Amino acid sequence: MDRRGPSIQHGVASVSGAVFARIAMGTACDLFGPRLASASLILLTAPAVYFTSIASSPISFLLVRFFTGFSLATFVSAQFWMSSMFSGPVVGTANGVAAGWGNLGGGATQLIMPLVFSLIRDIGAVKFTAWRIAFFIPALFQTLSAFAILIFGQDLPDGNYQRLQNSGNKQKDKFSRVFYHGITNYRGWILALTYGYCFGVELTVDNIIAEYFYDRFNLKLHTAGIIAASFGLANLVSRPAGGVLSDMMAKRFGMRGRLWALWAVQTLGGVFCIILGQVGSLTASIVVMIVFSVFVQAACGLTFGVVPFVSRRSLGVISGMTGGGGNVGAVLTQLIFFKGSKYSKETGITLMGIMIVCCTLPIFLIYFPQWGGMFCGPSLEKIATEEDYYLSEWSSKEQGKGLHQASLKFADNSRSERGRRVHSQTLSSNATPSANV
Amino acid sequence: MAARVLVLASILIFSCFAETCYGVISFSSLQRTLVVTASHRQGLLKAGEDKITVRWGLNQSFPAGTDSSYKTIKVQLCYAPISQVDRAWRKTEDHLNKDKTCQFKIVKKPYTNVNETLEWTIERDVPTATFFIRAYALDSDDHEVAYGQNTDAEKKTNLFEIQAITGRHVSLDIASVCFSAFSVVSLMGFFFMEKRKARKSQQ
Repeated sequence: MDRRGPSIQHGVASVSGAVFARIAMGTACDLFGPRLASASLILLTAPAVYFTSIASSPISFLLVRFFTGFSLATFVSAQFWMSSMFSGPVVGTANGVAAGWGNLGGGATQLIMPLVFSLIRDIGAVKFTAWRIAFFIPALFQTLSAFAILIFGQDLPDGNYQRLQNSGNKQKDKFSRVFYHGITNYRGWILALTYGYCFGVELTVDNIIAEYFYDRFNLKLHTAGIIAASFGLANLVSRPAGGVLSDMMAKRFGMRGRLWALWAVQTLGGVFCIILGQVGSLTASIVVMIVFSVFVQAACGLTFGVVPFVSRRSLGVISGMTGGGGNVGAVLTQLIFFKGSKYSKETGITLMGIMIVCCTLPIFLIYFPQWGGMFCGPSLEKIATEEDYYLSEWSSKEQGKGLHQASLKFADNSRSERGRRVHSQTLSSNATPSANV
Repeated sequence: MAARVLVLASILIFSCFAETCYGVISFSSLQRTLVVTASHRQGLLKAGEDKITVRWGLNQSFPAGTDSSYKTIKVQLCYAPISQVDRAWRKTEDHLNKDKTCQFKIVKKPYTNVNETLEWTIERDVPTATFFIRAYALDSDDHEVAYGQNTDAEKKTNLFEIQAITGRHVSLDIASVCFSAFSVVSLMGFFFMEKRKARKSQQ
């Protein structure tokens, strides 16, 4: 196997394609709805998976791999969809479960596909044909899941975008406005950076951990592979747990709780990463790796407890930016610490841990006027409400046309992000007038 | 009493060691007493199609009786050094139990004193690589006692290249194209049906 890792050109090419695909998907969700956007992407990339069965030259393998990679942008549509269908108090859990079990699927295929391949080979095919036949399984799953989305899915609790747009309940938005409000929101950029150092780290570790155990502890490659797979399989519970934690913190402390939890869990993940690079025994390494994986994956779940609230109009673009940040973080980390033999693997892991801790600090800077940030409470200068924040994305002309109704509704629903004490105060103050009547 | 127990224990332990010593055979301890040649057509050989003619026999310059312990002969297809670079699963190790150089069996048959010839069609599961041929002589316990190969000690001469089958079949090609087209066409179909439903509900 090529131990040298990705070259710079390879890294730049793959990450630009991935970032572009995710932002494009996010924008498509904002404009056309997640149902059509994701089903289209899945069906249009299914041919790449079918053609993997008949690839037989290095160039053809590269091409099918490149085009198959675009289908991963469905992560963005999945998070957008969860953020649209589930309300504030449970959105972290919904996002965490959807994303965690999706990542789990990647780990599961690594265990299942070799079994499928062996089964087909034992039935009678030569191994060079057996793997080709085996590729039809994921390809068929891809086609069928797209059909399931189209037949059973709907964009919003009220219905699909197209029908809502035709009946006038939802207005069709403009690409330039959606894009502009997404990329000018600084919180989206901060979350993109921090997501690069939880999900990006997860991707990096997926790539290097098997080799690390194989080289450092002289395990058989097969055993090292199983240990590496267990890192990904932790996604079954750890990412959903992050989402659940985010919602629990929000119930008590509101958005400030979500931000504190995200910072704390991701920083602890960085600390355990530093420890992982330092421990020398196999048992200790496995234990630390499992703890590290739980924290890092929970941090991913916690990130998407915050993302749904950053923007309403440009939810897709923000989700896409954050997702793209994950890929940039992965490639950057691999290029800096794991390319060539400048650092030994254990030094690379320790340095990666230090970088996680540093790149998580910008969460201190995230501030919502209506809810506060990590160190500051909500703004007292002007009357800062959820409506002010979300309607700032619509110009007065657009509001005059009534385009902002969905954001208004969301602003009302998001009041739970104030936390329990403040929320119950506002509730009781709202209730008083009617009691006096 | 204690001394007798000690003696008994040490005999048991030493016999165990002797057992394990006997089980581990190293390649460097084997004598090259067999002569192996392989002939094939010129150019790149194709797995599943081309044939290699293998000849093996005892090197007559060795004294008679060298092959008294040879009971079985095992002829194998082995990776040349160039095909082992960066591939740990094909690595050459001196301990024959761990050695991964020769992974394909050509033939295994009882040893006879005369020179033998075999025309072998290259199996379909042989990968694309550079190979040579080696024959091991096994004793009655199935342990290697001698060997011969058609190349020199550095494994640089008389190597030949084999091209693997692609594994592709026309049926697979057709299925791929059909399913791909079906995916794209069905997407168009869904869009068309959505537009029709939207128009109907507006009317």
